[in-house]
Amino acid sequence: MTPAPVHHPSTETLAAYAAGTLRAGFDFVIAAHVRGCAQCRGEVARLEGVGGALLAEADAAAMSEEALMQALARIETAAPPAAPARTIEQIIAAAKKRWVAPGVWTARIDTPHAKDDRVYLLGVAPGVQTAKHTHSGAEFTVVLQGALNDGGVVYRAGDFCERDPDDTHHPKVEGAETCVCLFATQGRLVPSGVIGRIAFALADV
Amino acid sequence: MASQAPGQVETREEAALIARIATRDRAAFAALFGIVAPKVKGYLMRLGATGAAAEELTQDVMLTVWRKAEQFDPAKAGALTWIFVIARNRRIDALRRESSMTTYGLEAPEDMPDDSVDAPDAGLDGAEREARVRAAMQELSAEQQEVVRRSFFEEEPHAAIAAALALPLGTVKSRLRLAMAKLKAKLGDLK
Repeated sequence: MTPAPVHHPSTETLAAYAAGTLRAGFDFVIAAHVRGCAQCRGEVARLEGVGGALLAEADAAAMSEEALMQALARIETAAPPAAPARTIEQIIAAAKKRWVAPGVWTARIDTPHAKDDRVYLLGVAPGVQTAKHTHSGAEFTVVLQGALNDGGVVYRAGDFCERDPDDTHHPKVEGAETCVCLFATQGRLVPSGVIGRIAFALADV
Repeated sequence: MASQAPGQVETREEAALIARIATRDRAAFAALFGIVAPKVKGYLMRLGATGAAAEELTQDVMLTVWRKAEQFDPAKAGALTWIFVIARNRRIDALRRESSMTTYGLEAPEDMPDDSVDAPDAGLDGAEREARVRAAMQELSAEQQEVVRRSFFEEEPHAAIAAALALPLGTVKSRLRLAMAKLKAKLGDLK
């Protein structure tokens, strides 16, 4: 069995997730972590309880006079619900790998995220140099396979990492296995060097 | 039962209504509709939906309640929490349908492990837990209640809260973190 994740989203990020107010794509990354993390599942359930409490005390907005009649008509006549949405695993498995450099591939994830955001998988083989970079916006990451070393902190499968716009970092693959991560980034990454600029342009991240 | 704050609804009564809806009881559905539909509409409008869009989405939420009533487990969640999750998910689906890309479900897949037996408050039923959450919310400072409320009622909440309250983003996040820690401390000792 995979060990329990060690690095988790902050409470305020989980609260936004439970509230359903995270940017599209970013909630997908959180969902990928929460799926494999009992601790965060418990936290999300608790936060949904806060949502229930807030709904209970919400200011009521009057429904139209015919609303109940319409509702009663709907439950008699409505077509059965559409096919269930695809699971996180299915969406990840459907992503098409594109090699962008020896030992490096990316795969776009098909989520309804904003046009300028990027949601993608990145696979990096051990020993491959990655580019130091900053971000133009927030970045959420979940390690899906292998391990990542970012500034001396090791993130393993299931671990979550959130970066703010001002962070510069230079993550490296840790260990002998290819590291696969799921990313959501707001805006484009900003590479610090020439090689990085070329690589990032190729990878379209 | 503890007395309720004004304007609040009794979730145990709603849980009983949902149980009756699961047996296709239309009168129970009408009763639940009267209690919660205006709340759901108010919640959706608070998140920026127009009156007409909120009304339509509320109809969608209530139809989902009718269809999923048999999945409601009062031991696991309070009625309002269950309805909140449906409203949240229907809203996300409605927003994203417009983007014409694949949507994905945020509801727990059926093969997810069931954590409820290990929860520290496993001895309580959903309605009791919901009452405890409300009581804990009341004990937060006004400032903390404000950030918690806004974090559920604003799109991209942290930046929006910072702008609305003219506070630095870091302050908003730390205030929210403190409020959540306080809530957790109050709820964590449930046995």
